[in-house]
Amino acid sequence: MAVSKSRIDHLLLKYEIEQFLYQEAELLDERQFEEWLDLLAEDIRYWMPMRRNVKFGELDREFTREGQDISWFDEGKDTLVRRVNQILTGVHWAEEPLSRICHSVSNVQILKATPSMSQPTEVTVKCRFLIYRNRVQTETDFLVGKREEVLRSVNGQWKIAQRKIILDQNVLLAKNLTFFF
Amino acid sequence: MAEVVNVRLLKAGDKLQVSHGATVVVVSNPLDGVWIFARYLASPKDPSLEGTEDMIFAQDIIEVLEISGD
Amino acid sequence: MATKTKGRFVNGLVDMKAGKISREIFVNEEIYAEEQEQVFTRAWLFIGHESQVPKPGDYFVSGMGEESVILCRDREGALHVFLNSCRHRGMKVCRYDEGNTPVFTCPYHGWSYATDGKLVGVPFFKDAYHEKLDKSKWGLVEVAQMEVYKGSIWATWDPAAPPFTEYLGDFKMFFDLSLEAWNGTDEPLEVIGGVQKWLIPCNWKFPAENFSGDSYHNISHRSVDMVGIGPSGTGRRDTQERADSRRLQVSFPDRGHQTGIYVLPGGSPTAASYQQSPEVADYFREAEEKRRAIKGEWGRVTGSPGEIFPNTALHPRQPRSIAVWHPRGAHQTEVWRWYLVDAGAPYAVKDFLRQYYIRYSGPGGLTEQDDMENWNYAHSASRGTIARRHPYSYEQGMGSEQTNFELDGLKIPGTVMDLTEAKSSEQNLRNFYKRWAEFMDAPSWDELADWR
Repeated sequence: MAVSKSRIDHLLLKYEIEQFLYQEAELLDERQFEEWLDLLAEDIRYWMPMRRNVKFGELDREFTREGQDISWFDEGKDTLVRRVNQILTGVHWAEEPLSRICHSVSNVQILKATPSMSQPTEVTVKCRFLIYRNRVQTETDFLVGKREEVLRSVNGQWKIAQRKIILDQNVLLAKNLTFFF
Repeated sequence: MAEVVNVRLLKAGDKLQVSHGATVVVVSNPLDGVWIFARYLASPKDPSLEGTEDMIFAQDIIEVLEISGD
Repeated sequence: MATKTKGRFVNGLVDMKAGKISREIFVNEEIYAEEQEQVFTRAWLFIGHESQVPKPGDYFVSGMGEESVILCRDREGALHVFLNSCRHRGMKVCRYDEGNTPVFTCPYHGWSYATDGKLVGVPFFKDAYHEKLDKSKWGLVEVAQMEVYKGSIWATWDPAAPPFTEYLGDFKMFFDLSLEAWNGTDEPLEVIGGVQKWLIPCNWKFPAENFSGDSYHNISHRSVDMVGIGPSGTGRRDTQERADSRRLQVSFPDRGHQTGIYVLPGGSPTAASYQQSPEVADYFREAEEKRRAIKGEWGRVTGSPGEIFPNTALHPRQPRSIAVWHPRGAHQTEVWRWYLVDAGAPYAVKDFLRQYYIRYSGPGGLTEQDDMENWNYAHSASRGTIARRHPYSYEQGMGSEQTNFELDGLKIPGTVMDLTEAKSSEQNLRNFYKRWAEFMDAPSWDELADWR
């Protein structure tokens, strides 16, 4: 019996999205920041909540709220462009000399595709990230967590419309967040 | 041996068999997983406790006698 | 009793006559251990804000030096600050960050404490202790003194420390710039949900001296000034209102607190700020007009970064926050940053400020990121045996300090340095370390409160 079309559609879409996410990581790790910005929708929300230790049964309070509370990031493209421009001044001392960064993306799951898996214009994706940062001589950070994102097809190109970054830390163990998730 | 009681799940009105042959009714649950606020219904070894409220330690709970209606 | 003029630290490792400070005070682990005793058990330390614990049973786990403490409001509504450690075997009685609870119960052996700190639950109290344990003597360890000042909560472990407002002294009016509503009234502020906490690999005194008034390090923020994150679209803050003002450093030698301030000429108009949002701009223009009307001549004064000795940093104007530099060993600092906003401000204002606050400050902040790189590598490059032999220079502006400073009829308290033409001075840094050295040498508050 032939493999059902819907399963093939799902497989093809998952492959396409994985390739997009790998390509994005490639741009960041190769420091092609302006090209990376082109992957972001103009109305992107880039949000990385902080996480509290809360009692069992009160997990609804674990994350700081988007648009309400203090987060590590809660911003749009304008601020992200300024972050890139700051690195590109060459005098942003926290990234000069530039850090050596490696983004690993895995566990990619397509949570939703609209209007359909075969002709999607918007896809909700969840994945894991492992970011390794090494800078100057021995300074090293590992940042591990989950991402939930909405990708939107704009003129046949995928753009990142929403990115929620769930870092598995409470007290941030890195001295700063000069890089992108 | 009776089942280990998860005191987090106890609610006001629940009746418990506790050590020294006493029975208590839960007044409120601090949800710390260790203690229950309760009132003595019967305490054959020390009848002066009957009607008084006390904190009951989870390991002193022998079994749940009755789950409250609500 | 007058403070000593010479000790191991006063005019020793902290040589304020020569304007030199030994690197040992930053990197030496024995000095760090002494500092925990001499400074952090005796000074007043910032705990949190009333808006974090509004209801009975509310708690927020904070820190005092290396210790974890619980700020909580008991059933009667009274505030307490307790050491977060069970009296029986030391386990943390609260490993949550904040919440509401009737009791703090130790997960190790089950001792349980009410929100007023009393020991209320002891497992097998009858069977194992035969009711002989005196529960009244085994409550949670409570700070010696706790005070609420305009919504901010402070505590000290030293019963001999002077009351908090006396500890502040004349610095009070400058601290008020962080605690009053933007319109200068006592309308309440609130902490925006979520306190940022992160680690920096440096001694806690690097950020403490920076916020005391490092007026020299603007060069390190050049990249953010170029890309512009300010609330009017350029720079990193609104500087329009400062254009005509005198720029001063104010320090209080007997207290160890210091800040920068700007003083406008009398009758100057309210400068346009927060130009990226008309609604926010209107809110601040109205608030500023009211503030100046209420404050009269003192309305000409606006705030700039400052430090309450030892480890509480103020950022009163833009963006408004309070930070604490918690020591975590000689070589590491855990920063906690609280962001403040007018509780009654409309959502649009709160939302605008919140986004501005986090793109400026903290580990994601385009401004603060560069500070942390500097503190990190200043510290690590000072650890070597050879490096330690060479003190840092704090000579900038020595001898130019003024007292009884007056500007168009405004008498500024404390010791003042006018930076308007000088551009920069290290007066405030010297002031911070002078007080730090006194704490390190003085055996008790009798010597430290020498204004009495």
